Amino acid sequence: MIGFIEATISGILMGGLYGFIAVSLSLIFGVAKIVNFAHGALFMVAMFLVYWILVLLKVDPYLSSLIAAGFLFFFGYFFQRLFIEPILRREKETAPLTVILLTSGLMMIIENVALLLFGADYRTVKTGYTGKVWEIAGLFIAQPRMIGFVLSFILILLLGLYLRKTNLGRAIRATSQDREAARLMGIDDYRVYKITFGVGGIMLGFAAAFLVPFYFVHPAVGELFVLKSFVIVVLGGLGSITGAFLAGIIVGIIESLGAQFINSALVESLIFIIFIGCLVVKPTGLLGKQRE
Amino acid sequence: MRGEFPSKILFLRRRKMKTIGIILLTFFCVFYYGLGLTYAQQEVKVGVLIPLSGGLAVIGENLQMAHDFAVKEINEAGGIKSLNGAKIKLIYADTRGDSKIGMSEAERLILREGVVAIVGAFQSSVSYTSTEVAEKYQVPYLVPNSLMDAITERGFKYTFRVERKGSLWAKDQIDFIVDMGKATGKPAKTIGVAYESTDMGQAIAKGIRKWAPEKGLTIGLDEGYPPKTSDMMPVVLKMKRANLDVVILNSYTSDAILLIRTIADQRVNPIAFLGSSSGYSDPSFIKEVGKLAEYFFDLTEWTTDLKHSPLVQQKNAAYKKWNKDNRDFNGGAAFCYASTYILYEALEKAASYDPKKIRDAFATIKITKGPAMMIPWTPIEFDAEGQAKDARMLVVQYRDGQRRSVWPAEIASNKPVWPVPKWEERK
Repeated sequence: MIGFIEATISGILMGGLYGFIAVSLSLIFGVAKIVNFAHGALFMVAMFLVYWILVLLKVDPYLSSLIAAGFLFFFGYFFQRLFIEPILRREKETAPLTVILLTSGLMMIIENVALLLFGADYRTVKTGYTGKVWEIAGLFIAQPRMIGFVLSFILILLLGLYLRKTNLGRAIRATSQDREAARLMGIDDYRVYKITFGVGGIMLGFAAAFLVPFYFVHPAVGELFVLKSFVIVVLGGLGSITGAFLAGIIVGIIESLGAQFINSALVESLIFIIFIGCLVVKPTGLLGKQRE
Repeated sequence: MRGEFPSKILFLRRRKMKTIGIILLTFFCVFYYGLGLTYAQQEVKVGVLIPLSGGLAVIGENLQMAHDFAVKEINEAGGIKSLNGAKIKLIYADTRGDSKIGMSEAERLILREGVVAIVGAFQSSVSYTSTEVAEKYQVPYLVPNSLMDAITERGFKYTFRVERKGSLWAKDQIDFIVDMGKATGKPAKTIGVAYESTDMGQAIAKGIRKWAPEKGLTIGLDEGYPPKTSDMMPVVLKMKRANLDVVILNSYTSDAILLIRTIADQRVNPIAFLGSSSGYSDPSFIKEVGKLAEYFFDLTEWTTDLKHSPLVQQKNAAYKKWNKDNRDFNGGAAFCYASTYILYEALEKAASYDPKKIRDAFATIKITKGPAMMIPWTPIEFDAEGQAKDARMLVVQYRDGQRRSVWPAEIASNKPVWPVPKWEERK
């Protein structure tokens, strides 16, 4: 019995991080309707940034997460400004197919540049809490996982507040609901897209920093998370922040608890079975709103 | 008018010169051909197929150095004595890690370069296809490193393999576990295997399923996880619940790192952990996990501290001094070095440049001395399939970050720590 509780807890902790990574994708995907295949590559860039700050400047990952988040804001902002916006302006539709090719191309470029610069070595970090666990009633909870989960949760609450209470947040939500209408209300939609991409970058930067203490850094590390993130975003409902976080936790629990009953090689298909099942019952995802 | 006379002379001269030229050229050709023949008498061309560009280039270059070192030694010691001191000349061909390129390069080596034998090709997939070419042209092909069973199971007459078959690795792992139980009085009863669900991992798991029950061991966990698994926690929790005596693992580097860290976090405490080379022998594994790898057992083909022959230390020291990066032999390089000597012995025995005779020499060879003895078994001979007969694996244990041989006892230089200390008791 304790084994299953343990599996559920570990599923929630890891799932929270999956959800957090997906939240930033959900913003970009849900608001700007951009299928960002370079998401994993951006994530990797943030992980390397945190890694090098730790190795060279000895700054703790949780502290340097602020730097990573700030850096990724500008990275995301200019990513949108330089590469995606010209296409959006030229093609004059909300989800041009060229963007998919563009983002996959950028993913390859970023990953290969990282491969050239840093080589194919796997790198890990040693911090005061790497490998430390909290022992609670016979359960071992890895400290970096727990800290990462709690911080992710707080940041998502803050993001929700930001979207609900500030003008810019409202503009983002308005654009996500109806770009044309938002435009008619005097919202600069291209500016909103850039900001959205930037805010997505902030979340991604934090997520990377939370993962570094118990994970490895490698040019292809983003690929481990990117497909899962897309599944989580769609499962949670496009553009829904709470939905993405919740869906992340659900996927984490399925992954962890499922493996206790069936072979792990099959769990991946189990996730997709549940995913497809959910979409059949509720095509808009768990918390997605119906659109006409 | 004035110009006619000289031009006539010039014309005559030209004709004369042409004739002389032709005669000279003929002479030169005959002479050169003769020279070529005598020159060829002093050189045995051997083709080496290895990946020298692409992702495996680092590995390929390491193997190339080992071959070069062996050939340097052989040629300095007087070459092939039965061929009037002919020198071995290695002709490298880059497979780029691609089985198709391996085939075309093998063809080029045989038809264009006229090699009498081929050595290679590191990766199983490339060895598998390029040996077919050698078989077709009846040129002997020596495989030092590839483990895929099928390479020597197609009834080929010209393929010889030094490495142990992959399917028997699991048998060695089970033998090791049983031996340790006997030696220490703490036998393992339940074992488990967690592996990346790809060709090699599945082959190992299949072997475990076959050999473990034969030795009276129960399999308590048989868990394949998909490649690119992002979290190892589910597998580790399952492993913990299974209460295993020995955990056998087969992973690539990234999952090896994640697994061992998660295992330590979760305080999974069996009698021992046993890896299956691959990720667990990767230098970056030990670099990244550091102390967590301590006491970890790993199945491997070779290590620098073997004591079955003083040659291991001597040759490794000489090699280290010779190569510019002061590199030790690793398993792959040691096998390439020894294989070059197996080839040398075969050439010596064949006393011929005829690939068919060299093939017969390989088939009947029995090596009991010389630098080929770097390989930890005697004698070196090939069975009817072309598989090295007594090939075996050994087990190392990580101690102070070093891979120390602990099994089989007769060639090992260290005592194993069995059972390994619990995670809580380690510092």
